Amino acid sequence: MKKHVLLFLFLLNVLGFSAMAQNRTISGRVVSAADGLALPGVSVVVKGTTIGASTDVEGRYQISVTGSPTLVFTFIGFSPREEIVGTRSIIDVRLADDAKALQEVVVTSYTTQNKREVTGSIATVKANEIASYPLGSFDQALQGKAPGILVQANSGQPGAAANVLIRGTGSLLGSNQPLYILDGVEISASDFATLNPADFESLNILKDASSTAPYGSRGANGVIVITSKRGKVGTTRINYDVQYGLSKAPENRLRVMNTQEKLDYELSQGNPYEWTDEDLARLRQINTNWEDVFFQTGKTSSHTLSASGGAGKTTYFLSGSIFDQTGTVRTTGLKRYTGRANVTSEAGNFQFGLNSTFGVSKFSGTSEANTGIAAPLNAVRWSNPYETPYDEEGNYTEIYSGQPNALQELLENSNSRRQLKGVGNVFVGYTVPFIQGLSLRTNWGGDFTANENTTFFNPTTASGSSATGGSGSFARNYGSNFRYTGTTSISFKRDIGADHTFSIGLFNEIVNNTGRNFGFTGYGLGGAFQNEAGITPGTSDNGFIPAVNGNGFENALLSYFTIVNYGFKNRYFLDLSARRDGSSRFGADRRFANFGSVGLSWIVTAEPFMEGLTNIFNELKYKISYGSAGNQNGIGNFEARELFGRAVYNGVSGLVQTQLANPELQWERKTTFNTGIELATLQGRVRSTIEYYNAVTSDLFLNRQLSRTSGYNDITTNIGELRNRGVEFSLEGDLVKTPSLTWSANVSLTYNQNEITKLIGGGQTEQIDGITINRVGEPLNTLYLVRFAGVNPVNGNAQYLTKDGEITEQYDPADRVLAGSTQVPFFGGFGSSLNFRGFEVNAFFSFVKGNKIYNNERSNIINPTYLWDNLSAELTREWKKSGDITDVPYSASEYQAEVTRLVESGDFLRLRNLNVAYNLPKHWAQSIKVQSIRVYAQGQNLKTWTKFMGWDPEITGASLIGAQYPALRTVTFGLSVGF
Amino acid sequence: MVFTACEDIIDVDPEFQKERSQIFKNLEEYEYALTGAYSLFRQTGYFGSGGQTTGSWSVLPDMMTDNLVQTGEDLGNWTNQVNYFYASDDSDIEIAWTAAYGVINQANLVLTNIDQIGAAEPKRVNRIKGQALAIRAMAHFDLLRYWGESYERNSSAKGVPYKTEFSPEELPARLSVKETYDKIFQDMTAAEAALSDIDVPSINASTNRGYIDLLVVRALMARMNLYAKEYAAAENYATLVIDAKPLASKTEFPGIWSDASLAEVIWSVTFSAGQGDYGSGVHAASSNRNRFRPSQELLNLYDPANDIRFPVYFATRQSQNVNPPRPIYPGTPLVYTSGGTLITRRILSKVVRTNGTRYDNQLNWKALRTGEMYLIRAEARAMQGGAKAVLGLADLNTLRAARINNYVPQVLAGQNLLDAIENERRRELVGEGHRWFDLKRTSRFIDREDITLNFTAAQLDPNAREWTWPIPQVEIDANPNISGQQTTGY
Repeated sequence: MKKHVLLFLFLLNVLGFSAMAQNRTISGRVVSAADGLALPGVSVVVKGTTIGASTDVEGRYQISVTGSPTLVFTFIGFSPREEIVGTRSIIDVRLADDAKALQEVVVTSYTTQNKREVTGSIATVKANEIASYPLGSFDQALQGKAPGILVQANSGQPGAAANVLIRGTGSLLGSNQPLYILDGVEISASDFATLNPADFESLNILKDASSTAPYGSRGANGVIVITSKRGKVGTTRINYDVQYGLSKAPENRLRVMNTQEKLDYELSQGNPYEWTDEDLARLRQINTNWEDVFFQTGKTSSHTLSASGGAGKTTYFLSGSIFDQTGTVRTTGLKRYTGRANVTSEAGNFQFGLNSTFGVSKFSGTSEANTGIAAPLNAVRWSNPYETPYDEEGNYTEIYSGQPNALQELLENSNSRRQLKGVGNVFVGYTVPFIQGLSLRTNWGGDFTANENTTFFNPTTASGSSATGGSGSFARNYGSNFRYTGTTSISFKRDIGADHTFSIGLFNEIVNNTGRNFGFTGYGLGGAFQNEAGITPGTSDNGFIPAVNGNGFENALLSYFTIVNYGFKNRYFLDLSARRDGSSRFGADRRFANFGSVGLSWIVTAEPFMEGLTNIFNELKYKISYGSAGNQNGIGNFEARELFGRAVYNGVSGLVQTQLANPELQWERKTTFNTGIELATLQGRVRSTIEYYNAVTSDLFLNRQLSRTSGYNDITTNIGELRNRGVEFSLEGDLVKTPSLTWSANVSLTYNQNEITKLIGGGQTEQIDGITINRVGEPLNTLYLVRFAGVNPVNGNAQYLTKDGEITEQYDPADRVLAGSTQVPFFGGFGSSLNFRGFEVNAFFSFVKGNKIYNNERSNIINPTYLWDNLSAELTREWKKSGDITDVPYSASEYQAEVTRLVESGDFLRLRNLNVAYNLPKHWAQSIKVQSIRVYAQGQNLKTWTKFMGWDPEITGASLIGAQYPALRTVTFGLSVGF
Repeated sequence: MVFTACEDIIDVDPEFQKERSQIFKNLEEYEYALTGAYSLFRQTGYFGSGGQTTGSWSVLPDMMTDNLVQTGEDLGNWTNQVNYFYASDDSDIEIAWTAAYGVINQANLVLTNIDQIGAAEPKRVNRIKGQALAIRAMAHFDLLRYWGESYERNSSAKGVPYKTEFSPEELPARLSVKETYDKIFQDMTAAEAALSDIDVPSINASTNRGYIDLLVVRALMARMNLYAKEYAAAENYATLVIDAKPLASKTEFPGIWSDASLAEVIWSVTFSAGQGDYGSGVHAASSNRNRFRPSQELLNLYDPANDIRFPVYFATRQSQNVNPPRPIYPGTPLVYTSGGTLITRRILSKVVRTNGTRYDNQLNWKALRTGEMYLIRAEARAMQGGAKAVLGLADLNTLRAARINNYVPQVLAGQNLLDAIENERRRELVGEGHRWFDLKRTSRFIDREDITLNFTAAQLDPNAREWTWPIPQVEIDANPNISGQQTTGY
């Protein structure tokens, strides 16, 4: 892509001005200095003009010149080279690998900038690093890859999206999801199961106000700009990638009782099931490992076939893929089929193109993140070990406690989602021929998603028998969502003299998002069908009256903005932006707000006084930016208005108030200061950045608490202020680089401090919500619990600390104190790779440190009143008699859950990816008529180091509620062939 | 070039909701809002029963007492209420508080400007307004039942805030019990007057008792006056209702509990399919979980052979096959079958609808019945003493004769009569949301003899703070005017 954009820009110029001069033709061939192979797509420009050409598939070019100008050969990844033409008519050039990093082009979608000029904070993840990760949702692959971006995989269910947070939690009620842009089109966050990451060329993560300025109204949480692959003129490449693998659930660190322990515990609690000696003898023979019952070895297979190339002024990229992954919980998985076509072309002064992707996926899930008794992921902990899922005859057993047989629930019921997704955009650009530097462009794109969710409850299951009519249910819900984005711009770019570069763009943008859904639930299943045909038509007598539903929404944004870039001596750069944004969500007088940014960068190494040091600092850049962006996402579409919804009573329809009005509701505003240094050293082999930021969210959306005598809990209001500030560091480079051996390493570290600086006026400085509190001076959602102070050895009662630190046995919510931050302060990733004669070994780790988690999943099995089901093994050490010293209270004492006993550290270190690969030598490959062959094996999440008592400490939010679907541990083997 | 300059782009209006500015323009829309108020009675915090919470004014008052016994099949829900563990942060208590004020808020919306909008149709206004006033008064009364520190008519102990207008920003303080009653009775009196002069012959169709009409208002007045110990008024209102709505016959009686008969049903809150239910917290019928069973001490109060209520109120139901043979909880007989064990459990069938072999909880909530009116009048007359007490005894005997075959009238007086009325309330009204409040009104003492779970609290003393619920902590936090008025003891 980077190559292509540069090429594209030059082609624009060539097209515009190729009629200017035609004296004689120079031709030649450009090859790589390292291996002598042809370099297609190199741009060749007559210095000081806009006359240029590019090399073809064999590296050949032709260009018309007058006199003896200088030709400039540039190609991404290589050092530029200048040749004085003199009298030559054939000029062959060998380009050397580029030592400097800052030359790269960064695509921010509206504009393309040389990385050197960027004044903001942009991190780039090369898509080829993550393309082969066997993950259903690509966002999970970003974990630890770039500073400032925290990615937490909440679920291991294939296709489940991760939670992505750029530079801390900036909003409390509003959305914290970054904006995702694919080829200029906004795509829905947390919905990537139907996109193929192998189609991506690059991912740029925009983090500060200067870099997100083009997205102001949507950019407050950062922007992830994804660019899909393009073809290159002259080279037709066909690639085939295949991967097969296996997945396992991770190690369990929350041990439940085994049969002996559980039965002994029950006996010590008065034998609630009244087992006889005979029963006990029989039950002690059984010891079911419920993990084996619910978990399986998941399988992954993936195939991608792509073709790219181009001829004349047209390029294309086509691909198709199949991804099939079964999860570690039985019946779960994701199947995906995608296709993509990207085409760009030019004619005269017009440039136009189409990028499109479409896909179908089928997602089979199980219920997660709940405390429901029918959820298999709860049953794996709650089922008694002396029970079995099947009896001797192979029938499902009835669980003694009356819990549903969760295996029956899992296997006999089904819950799936079929998604149809299409993302595409078309653009037309026009280079105005009579005004140099003026161009116009309009880009229209849409993201269409249709989901068909199907839920079937078999009448024989507990869920099915508790459906209306008691005989199963079948529900199908269809929802479609269409978002279109239209961006129209006029831009002017001109160099003034040798020292000044200047460009300005004026933009208009509209975004509209409309969704509709409807569905039904039918009852009385029982015939031969597990679909609509099995529903018994409802009558007033049979109790099978179906339920129908339907709803819809719409929201829209309108923006006008301008972006100005100015460069002086290719050394000092200034970016300015100003914008006015309107959102349909706010009160009539509060819809529009103004945002803007200013950024400066300075290439220190370009200064004469640095000349002697450029051997040490090959490139040194200082940058600073300040600006604002808005957030309007995450609140209701009509959050500012007083609303009445449908109500039905006694068969009559009416209206019920559902929301209070707040006409003052307006944009949440995030103002970010960013500064940093980018450095390249060791002949450009090692590149490093360090940045500091301070982001303040003002007019924070907050639930202003109301007296409950209003009938409401709260109202959404712009009150409060929040700050995230932190430091980011990244380092990457080749520590050793010889023709046969490369050893490289990369590190990315982020420290983020989250703090509430203002809450509600009127002296109120805190807000309690369940187990968490928001208090001025503390991070968001800090745990707020009564301190557990062990067990009284005399009577076995739980002891607590009062607010003043006195030991008491009386639990009192008034004694709650701060009990740890749930925000992650410190996180990052590091990796290393070794490449020796075609062999590659690559290991990548990520970590999180400093946050606390409330383990509700553990609470569900240490509460002694849940004796009927299995319990945590830690209860075997409960207090039994006077004098016992233990940390587990007497079972008959009052159990209180909102105490620090359930707070655990969220720290972990994880071997995220380990990859071993071999690239066949080129001459071997070519001897069998292929360009390249790569074979590899990789492991995902192979090892995690943590003390957290559960499957997986990678949790967003304050509490692990229950029914956690752990992240997969996957090993895959792959082959990649290029023709 | 396409420079979209039109701000119409962001003029988007809701299609699936209405804005305030679009409605309340005519009485039709006030009727919509009144329907909305009724629908809020089905909230989980009011009469509805969530999977794991509340049913605050339906089944919870029985769960919290010696009428119902929590079993292992419930898996530890309602633990805080059943065992009196609750503190101010109890979520069910918060849900109940907010739900009742939610009903009140919607009623206040119905009352806002209705006189102006409906000036041309005063009788239609009366019909709408009378219902809204009664809804508002009843919800406040229900709040007082849990949160009132006393039920005495003129008590200066803490009552509840009384909301009479749509004012979400108001931070009201608790009124005294007396002040709360003053406002309740003021609204009820106004409701009675309004509903006496309406535009239609009858608010409820002959096949339906879903709405609050004059009869419902008078029945509520009888109940409220009994709590307030205004016995003469309680007696008078009960008489008005009894005269208009006699007791069901013995043949009609069973049909009440399957919604087949409206005999003696004064007000029945409609739960239609898909709108939840009030009773699954006691017995989740379709999944066959007997979460609360009738206590043995309650069952012992009946004459099973002759009392027609016994087979109507209680049934037995077998568990699904348990293999190998095991009791689901102790104290139940085992029945061996070839497949395993079927355990027969005693269930409260007032919360269960049987349809062939299918069971569900799809029943309307019988909020007021003539049976209760007889018991109110009996108690009000007994408390007035003298000749009235004799009439009270007659009421008790009338009710018993209607419920018990071969009944021989009894002669009781003084405390014996009052005790008999209390026991009759248990027999007649189990599962109808009275027992907790009856105990709070009278002895303020709970002694559960029949308990299944070893952690179930057996006793609650008269001086325990738990007789009055705490103001939810969230209310204390948000409302400075109430923060100094927490219920005594919390």
